[in-house]
Amino acid sequence: MPLAQFLKDELIKLDVSCDSRYDVFDLMYEEAFKRGYVSESFLPKIKEREETFPTGLNLDKYSIAIPHTDPECVFEQFIGVITLKEPVLFQLMDDKSKEVEVKVILMLGLNEPHSQLAILQKIMQIVQDEETYEKILAAKNCKEIHQLFNKLETA
Amino acid sequence: MKKTILVACGAGIATSTVVCNRVENLLKDNGIQAEVVQCKISEVASRQDGADLIVSTTILPTTYQIPAEIATAYITGIGMDKLDQKILDHLKN
Repeated sequence: MPLAQFLKDELIKLDVSCDSRYDVFDLMYEEAFKRGYVSESFLPKIKEREETFPTGLNLDKYSIAIPHTDPECVFEQFIGVITLKEPVLFQLMDDKSKEVEVKVILMLGLNEPHSQLAILQKIMQIVQDEETYEKILAAKNCKEIHQLFNKLETA
Repeated sequence: MKKTILVACGAGIATSTVVCNRVENLLKDNGIQAEVVQCKISEVASRQDGADLIVSTTILPTTYQIPAEIATAYITGIGMDKLDQKILDHLKN
């Protein structure tokens, strides 16, 4: 399944204001739950998971977070894309004692990831590429995000 | 003897899938016979018996009887070669 097919316009939130990572989760859950993409337990689960096993990643020049949780909570798969006006703090995946400022969040709503290596590798490719990061951050609308993801597919 | 490597992440879904693939390729390229098992970090304590190495993308909630390496490098792409070498060193013995 092509990467761009995981995108859903209602789960692309660009240049939004959130006070904390919890605000980001609330915002995404609200959209995903009312459309039946996730179960009610998705919200407490993703918060709990982020507390126990954070998903902040520190690249050399920027940081990104890839919150996700148990596959049982996800009915319809998605990749949520959030860009923030002002950064929020995420703890690092490999060191909880460190927090990083994050402006781009990729929320992964996946439920059969063992068969999705190619998709996950593409996501990691997005995470690792500074140019792609800058383009996501600069995107003004969903269409630009779709184009960006489509381009990665053929790259 | 054939080695066993536990590849773990918080939920046992996203990042460990990528790391599993990376580790499998690393072993293949170096002619090392080993089994790579993907699991949640919470399962590692009960599965470490008989395993030789833990490769985790997430923080280790406890200490284990077998060596463990944090593998965030495979997710960020920073320091991958160094991590490759560390993993290979563990498996040499």
